[in-house]
Amino acid sequence: MHRRKMQPSPSIGRPSPSANERFIISWRGIGRIAPLPEQGSIPGITVDLLREMVDETVENGSSRENTNGRPGRIYEYDFGHPIGIKINGRPAYLLRVVVNDRNELVTAFPF
Amino acid sequence: MQLDYRLSENWDSDAAFLLTADETDFRYYAFAGDIVLRDAQCDLSTQWGWVPLVDFAVGLRDISAAIEAGIAAAKKFEFTESDATLEFERHGADVNIRSSYAPGKIVLPSAEFRKRILDFGRRLDMELLSRLPSLRQNAAYQSLKLSELRD
Repeated sequence: MHRRKMQPSPSIGRPSPSANERFIISWRGIGRIAPLPEQGSIPGITVDLLREMVDETVENGSSRENTNGRPGRIYEYDFGHPIGIKINGRPAYLLRVVVNDRNELVTAFPF
Repeated sequence: MQLDYRLSENWDSDAAFLLTADETDFRYYAFAGDIVLRDAQCDLSTQWGWVPLVDFAVGLRDISAAIEAGIAAAKKFEFTESDATLEFERHGADVNIRSSYAPGKIVLPSAEFRKRILDFGRRLDMELLSRLPSLRQNAAYQSLKLSELRD
């Protein structure tokens, strides 16, 4: 299967880390990972591991058009084991990845 | 029903970024905050600090238009950074609003629902342009037509 390549973008003006701490990652802020423990995050993850998880999700997950008129596509993949913490504090087994129309990573989060 | 927003004070309002930001930037990254959505019996407000407010305004504008026009009896709004959702369902002349993250429902006339959504977009647009006049020069922001969220 063709492996999708995602292009990182330079980090530019964004919500500050404190405002953005629940975002586990976005390509524009690739180095920023939510502090631990944090709901809506993946405790202990590294950037390299998250990249692998994103790739696996895009390659093997289900996909659908983005919702609510947003550009891009959504990919979702069930890893079969807890990968993080849902926003309600429960274990998350799935990763949702959003890519834009240029196939660049927009965001990813566990749920 | 009260529909309002709280802009995160932690927002880094980088004018250079906002001048060149594209639609994805506005729908996922810019102007994070929280939604205030409640009535006397039910509170569906968010307390996450990361809801992209422009995206919320645009998304609910489209949902309210579809419901009021009878194009759809029910619509779901998916938040951008979690699996949390808001569900809007038309019942007769009313709209029922439920969430996946808080109990209860808000019921209000569909025309009033549409009016509140349009007012939300107007107020948000005015505040953002007041804070950051350079937004007027951003084609992507203008294309989202927050300033045209009116009847």
